[in-house]
Amino acid sequence: MSGNLLHRQPILRRPDGIGGALPALTLVALFFVVPVVALLLRSVTEPVPGLHNYATLFGDGTYTRVFFNTFLVATVVTAVTIIVAFPVAWMLAIMPPALGSIVFGIIILSMWTNLLTRTYAWMVLLQRTGVINRTLMDIGLISEPLPLINNLTGVTIGMVYIMLPFMILPLVGTLRAIDPMTLRAAALCGASPFEAFRRILLPLSLPGIAAGGLMVFVMSLGYFVTPTLLGGTSNMMLAAMIAQMIQSLLNWGLGSAAAFILLVVTMALYALQLRLVGAKRMTGGI
Amino acid sequence: MLLDYDRLGWLRAALLGFTGLVAAFLLLPVVFIVLLSFGSSRWLAFPPPSWTLKWYGELFADPAWLEAALTSARIAAMAALLAVVIGLLASFALVRGQFRGRNVLRGLLLTPMVLPVVVFAIAIYAFFLRIGLGGTTAGFVIAHTVLALPFAIIPITAALEGFDKSIEDAAIVCGAGPFEAKLRVTLPAIKIGIFSAAIFAFLASWDEVVVAIFMASPTLQTLPVKIWGSLRQDLSPVIAAASSLLVLLTLSLMVVTALIRRKLSK
Repeated sequence: MSGNLLHRQPILRRPDGIGGALPALTLVALFFVVPVVALLLRSVTEPVPGLHNYATLFGDGTYTRVFFNTFLVATVVTAVTIIVAFPVAWMLAIMPPALGSIVFGIIILSMWTNLLTRTYAWMVLLQRTGVINRTLMDIGLISEPLPLINNLTGVTIGMVYIMLPFMILPLVGTLRAIDPMTLRAAALCGASPFEAFRRILLPLSLPGIAAGGLMVFVMSLGYFVTPTLLGGTSNMMLAAMIAQMIQSLLNWGLGSAAAFILLVVTMALYALQLRLVGAKRMTGGI
Repeated sequence: MLLDYDRLGWLRAALLGFTGLVAAFLLLPVVFIVLLSFGSSRWLAFPPPSWTLKWYGELFADPAWLEAALTSARIAAMAALLAVVIGLLASFALVRGQFRGRNVLRGLLLTPMVLPVVVFAIAIYAFFLRIGLGGTTAGFVIAHTVLALPFAIIPITAALEGFDKSIEDAAIVCGAGPFEAKLRVTLPAIKIGIFSAAIFAFLASWDEVVVAIFMASPTLQTLPVKIWGSLRQDLSPVIAAASSLLVLLTLSLMVVTALIRRKLSK
């Protein structure tokens, strides 16, 4: 028996190698890295070699307005999402489990429901003759329908709706990790609830807010479906512009240059997020 | 106090009220679309003048909807299977491997989840046009597997990290081969992770729309592409009927997941 054990010892010590990752690596290299790199090469070779595509993107007012608008939408959406998500996450972190599981169920249901379905619902709800305008007019709050769709308002409502779960769920984790005793201690020392919130609860939850906020911001920057359906032509976002350049205008050079800019900004923010929270905590959510 | 549910005082009422409002906000579109699908008004007036099933009739009378749904299901099933198998193998290397660049590899394999999907969509579209996979089932499956892979790897690596490797070693000491030990000891132990991976990977493909919009051909389109096309034409209540069926699917998937998770964790 002991001989047998010794004999098997090397097998136990041998760690798993890189071998298992080879199929995944091949798939991602061949069908992700190669196509993306080929696309980026296109941005400096079409129609002729050079950086003229980038010069066009940064020099033309139409395109710089799209960049500005993309950042504006992502900033507004992120800010609103944080403000709406924080009280919900706070409540979820301390709620009795029975009550909390109902709210969690609703969050998961909305998250799992098909994206186009939810966006379609908002298109119908927000239109001029939609339920929201109808109701507001019926109760006499407004006399004219509010312009809720094909503008920044529509995009913000639709995007905040999509992003809320991505902000609430990680924040609940952060808030749960805070020791309630710190707040009891603050109260004993005479801090008012407001002061305890401002000087203890909020600072302690900042890492979660920053991580969730960055994730929402990055996702918003590259979002295509919701802004395209709920936004107007005057506030087009980068992803929609890229799609249009390729699909309708067949301008591969300009389209891939715009894609490269989106990629660089996204990856830079992603790297920042990894540094802030670490890969484990960020992806531990699902 | 601030983190003590029982001692929050008036703040508790305020926070509960706000949470209720947000929950209603999250539920509103889902409930609304289901109600609308039974409304008789072509113009989506709400509340509708009367209730009807005619939009479901129209939906089922048009074979294009069913075909698109079947295409989606077929592609999603294949992509999920591939993503789980490839992701499972990769997870062993990522969790237990001792080689340089392990974190870089993890980052690389998770990148498809982070990169804006529109960038990947036009890249893979151009690439497939060049190598002749554009608009084919194989093309769809490959592209969706790439996108689904992170959603498979994350729950499996999480489960694997929580599994004590010495149990697998014990099986080997007791005479099992390394492969047999993985198959009969480790895999059953991490089955919840594998199951979650399959669900997430399936949904990642089933709901994917941006790549599908670029790659779809007149003869091959997924359900999201069909919905997208209909949305751009008009807001017909037939879309509400199709959407309601998707909501039903989501609900049943949630229930089944909860049941299976409960069963597996016993």
